[in-house]
Amino acid sequence: MPGKTDKILEQVEQSRVWRSIFRSGRGTSTLHRALAIQQNVFLHLFSTKVRKRMLSVSSTWYLGTLTLGTFMILIITGVLLMLYYHPSVPQAYADMKDLQFVVSSGLFLRNLHRWSAQAMVFLVFAHMFKVFYRGAYRAPREFNWVIGVVLLLITLLLSYTGYLLPWDQLAYWAITVGSNLSKAVPLVGSKIHFLMLGGNQVNANALLRFYVLHCLILPLAALLFIAVHFWRIRKDGGLYVHQSEPKRAGAVDESTLVKEAK
Amino acid sequence: MKFLSSIWRALFGDTMRAFGIVSGLLLIALAIAPAKDHFSEWHGYQNGYLSLIHDRSDAISLRRRFEPGIQQIWLPELGVVDRCATCHEGLKEASLADVKMQPFRKHPVIPHPLDRYGCVICHRGQGPATTVSEAHFSERAGEDPILPARFIESGCGQCHQNELTGTPQLNSGRKMLAQYGCVSCHLVKTPDGTTMKATDDPPSLEHLADKTTREWVFSWIKDPQAYAVSATMPNYKLSDADASDISAFLMSSSTPHAGDSDATMIALAKNADPSAGASLYGESFCATCHAVQNGAGNLVGGNVGPELTRVGNKVKPAWLQAWIENPHVYNSATMMPHYRFTPQQVATLTSYLMSKTDSDYGSNVHLDPATPAQIAHGKKLVAELGCAACHTINGVNKPDNFAPDLSRIGSKPLSQVVFLPGMQHALPAYIAGKIKDPQAFGPGLKMPQYTLTDTQRDGLTTALLSLGDRSQTMPEKLRVAGIHQTTYEPAGPAGKLMTDLDCFSCHRINGHGSDMAPDLTLEGSSVQRAWLDAFLKNPNTLRPALTRRMPRFNLSDADRKTLTDYIMVVYQSATIDPDKAPPAVNPPAMVEHGRQLFYSRYACQSCHIIDTKTDKGYIGPTLTQVGSRLTPAWIYAWLKNPQELRPGTMEPNQNISDEDARAMTAFLMTLKGSGKQEGKQ
Repeated sequence: MPGKTDKILEQVEQSRVWRSIFRSGRGTSTLHRALAIQQNVFLHLFSTKVRKRMLSVSSTWYLGTLTLGTFMILIITGVLLMLYYHPSVPQAYADMKDLQFVVSSGLFLRNLHRWSAQAMVFLVFAHMFKVFYRGAYRAPREFNWVIGVVLLLITLLLSYTGYLLPWDQLAYWAITVGSNLSKAVPLVGSKIHFLMLGGNQVNANALLRFYVLHCLILPLAALLFIAVHFWRIRKDGGLYVHQSEPKRAGAVDESTLVKEAK
Repeated sequence: MKFLSSIWRALFGDTMRAFGIVSGLLLIALAIAPAKDHFSEWHGYQNGYLSLIHDRSDAISLRRRFEPGIQQIWLPELGVVDRCATCHEGLKEASLADVKMQPFRKHPVIPHPLDRYGCVICHRGQGPATTVSEAHFSERAGEDPILPARFIESGCGQCHQNELTGTPQLNSGRKMLAQYGCVSCHLVKTPDGTTMKATDDPPSLEHLADKTTREWVFSWIKDPQAYAVSATMPNYKLSDADASDISAFLMSSSTPHAGDSDATMIALAKNADPSAGASLYGESFCATCHAVQNGAGNLVGGNVGPELTRVGNKVKPAWLQAWIENPHVYNSATMMPHYRFTPQQVATLTSYLMSKTDSDYGSNVHLDPATPAQIAHGKKLVAELGCAACHTINGVNKPDNFAPDLSRIGSKPLSQVVFLPGMQHALPAYIAGKIKDPQAFGPGLKMPQYTLTDTQRDGLTTALLSLGDRSQTMPEKLRVAGIHQTTYEPAGPAGKLMTDLDCFSCHRINGHGSDMAPDLTLEGSSVQRAWLDAFLKNPNTLRPALTRRMPRFNLSDADRKTLTDYIMVVYQSATIDPDKAPPAVNPPAMVEHGRQLFYSRYACQSCHIIDTKTDKGYIGPTLTQVGSRLTPAWIYAWLKNPQELRPGTMEPNQNISDEDARAMTAFLMTLKGSGKQEGKQ
C-alpha cells in the first residue's frame, strides 16, 4: 500500500499542472530546498536557512510566531463577526446582544476575538522586551526594530478602535476620555480630535470612522508592515543569535549552522 | 517530578504525537461552543413544556401550536425585541389556565394583544436575553431588572395618562402626587406635555396671625400628624429651637386683613346651644368634606377640607366666625362654599367647633416673646426648607426648581442611584425607600418625612415608575391623554353666584371642576324646572348609599331663581330634542308594558329602586320620584345610549329599541313619588 501511495504522489508531482505551480520539483539537495522556499510568494519572505539552535523554545520563546498566530485568529473571528455587526448607533449594541443570545456560538466568537486581542497586545510587548534585552535591535537590525515599533502602534490602535464598536457605556466613555486626550496637543489638538471623531462628540460618525479603521485601514497596514518585518529578518541575516554578533569581521561560527541532510 | 516529566515525554516527546494531541485538544475546545449552544437553558425549558403538555387531553392541538426554537416579538417602533416567549411557551394557551408552574403559566387576560406590545413594555427586564439570569435580573450594563408584580400598573401609566378603572393603585398614586404636594417642590412633566399641579390647596400664611396662635403653629410644624392624623403636611423633624424661630417669623410676617375677625357675634356664641351645633353640623353636611376622629380613633367624614378633631385648639373664635360667615373673605380661592348662615347659625356652629378641643394638645408649649435674631433665623429656615413652595408667605418668594425633576424618575439608571446598606438594588426599592425615610439617605436632604401606609407608598412608587424614558418617547398614536381641566367659567350674575357657592368644588361643568358630584353640563336638558328649584331649596339625596351629600345653602328666592334660570337655559344638550320625546302622560297599557320591560326584560331593579319595599338595587340612583325629576326627553335619550350623555357611566347600553325605550319612559314618568316619602328622605 505505501508503495502505491508513493507512486501516485510521485505521478501527481510529475504532472504538468503540479510543475507549473511548484517549479523546483522534489529533491533533498540544498538547491531544491532553497528553491522551494524562494519560489513561494509567502515563504520567500523567510530565510531559506535557519540555525537549528534557533528552533528551540529558549532562543525566541516563539513570541513573534505566537503574535502572528493571534493576529490570524483575530482576522478569522473578526471577519465572522463582521457578518453580524452593523456600525450604526441604533443597531450596534443590539447586535452585541444578538451575538450573545441568538447567534450560534456567537458569544464564543466574540470572546475569542476579545481574548486574542488582549493576548496579542501582551505578546507584542513580550516580543519587544525579548528583542530589546537580547540586544537584537542592534545593527544591522535597527530598521526592523523601527518596523516593530510601528507594528506595536498599529496593534494598540486596533485595540483602541475595536473598543468602541460594542457601543455600550464602557466603550462610549472610554473613547470619550481617550479622544479628549488628543485635545491636549498644542495648537492642533481640537482639530485632531474633530478629525478622529468626525465631530465634537462620540457619535454615529465616530462609530463609523472607528469601524472603518478597525476593519479595513489598520489591518491592511498591519499586513503590509508584517510582510516587511518578516522580509527584513531574512535580509538582516536571519534570526538573531545570541553571541553570534561577529566579533571579528568575516568570522562565522560554523557549528551553529543546520546540518545539511544528504 | 519524575512522574510529571515522564508523562510529558509520553505525550509530547515525539513531534508527530505532540502535533496530534494538540490538534485533538483544539478540536475539543472548538466543540465546546456548539455544545453549549445545544444544551442551552431555553432548550431545557422547551423540553419541559413538551413534557408538561404531553399528558394533557389537548396535547395534540397544544403541540401543533408549539414552535421550537427562539421565539421573538419584534416591534421596531417601540424598540422592543422580546424573546421571553422562548421559555414562556404557554402565554397564549387558554387551556393552560390551571398550570401554576412558571415559565409555562398562561398570561392573565389583558386588553392588549401580546404580539403588538411585547413583554418588557410593562414587565421591564432584558427582552433580547435568552437566559433567566440575564432576562430577569441583569442590571450591570444599564439593563432594567424585571419589575415586581405589585408595581405592574406602572406599565399602564406609560401610555394612559387618563384614569383607568383597572389600575386603582396607579390612580391613587397619581392623585397622591398632587394631593400630598409632591409636585409643589418636584417638577413632574407628564408625557402629554402638561406639568402636574398640586391639588392639596395649601393655605396661605399671609394673615396667619388672624387665624391662630404662635403656640399652635409651633406644635403643628413640630408634628402635624399629632394635631390631625389625616394631615398631609409632612414632618420636617425640626428641633424645638428651629420650630420656635419659624413660628416667630411666620407670626411676624403675617399682616392683618380686614374682615378676618368678627367680634360682634362672640356674645351670641356664648349663649349658643352646643347640641344645636351638632345637628346644624350634620344638616349642613360638613362631614362631606371635613373629617372628625371618633372615640375609636377612626376618621369619619370626607378628606376635601381639613380634619376638625381639634379645631378648637387651633383657630381663634373671632376668625372662625368670620370664616363660617363667608370663607371667601379670608381666602378667595377656597373650595369651601359660602353658606348663607344666619348670624345665630354662625354663632352656633362656631361654639360647636370651638368645643372640639384636646386639652392635652400643646398644653406644655410656652414660648418666650421672639427676638429679632430668632425671626431672622426663622426666615432663613423657611427659605431653606422650601415652605414657600406650597404656602404663600409674606417676604419669601416661591422657590424655583426646589427639588429634583421627577419627569423621568422611572428610568433613573441604577448607576446613578445611591442605595442604602441592605437595600435591594432595584429602582422600586429605592423609590419606596426614599419616600419612606428620606432622611436616611443623608442628613443634608431637605425632603421631609411623610406619614404614609404601605399601600399608599406602593401607589406613589407605581405612579413614579410610570414616568420613564419609554413613556416620554412612546409613539404619539399609542398615547392616551389625560383629562385636563378647562378654564370654563359661567358668566353673569349666576356665574358669580356659582363661584360664591363653589359649585365647582364638587360638580364639573364643561370640563371644569371636581368629579365628586354629578356633572352638570347637561343639567338643563335632564331635569324638570320645578324639581331643580325645590332641590336647591332643600336638597334630598338621590343616592342613599353615598355619604357625600349636597349641602343646603340657604339661598334667597331671588338667588335660587337666578341659578335655576341659568341652569335650565344654558346647560342644554344639543342632541336631545324635547319635541321628539315621548309625552309625559301616556295610556295605561303602554305604562304597564313599560313596567314589564323594566322588571323582566331589562331587569333594571338590579341596580335601581322603584318600590322601596321590594327592590334592593342601590348601585344606581333611586327612581321612586324620577317622573317628577327628569324630563321624558332625557329619560328616552338616556335609555337609548347612556354613554353618549355621560361618558364612563356605569349604566350599560342595552341597545334598547325605540319602542321599548318609549314604553319604559312612559312607565318611569308615572313614578312621581309621594310627598310623604319625600319628607322622609
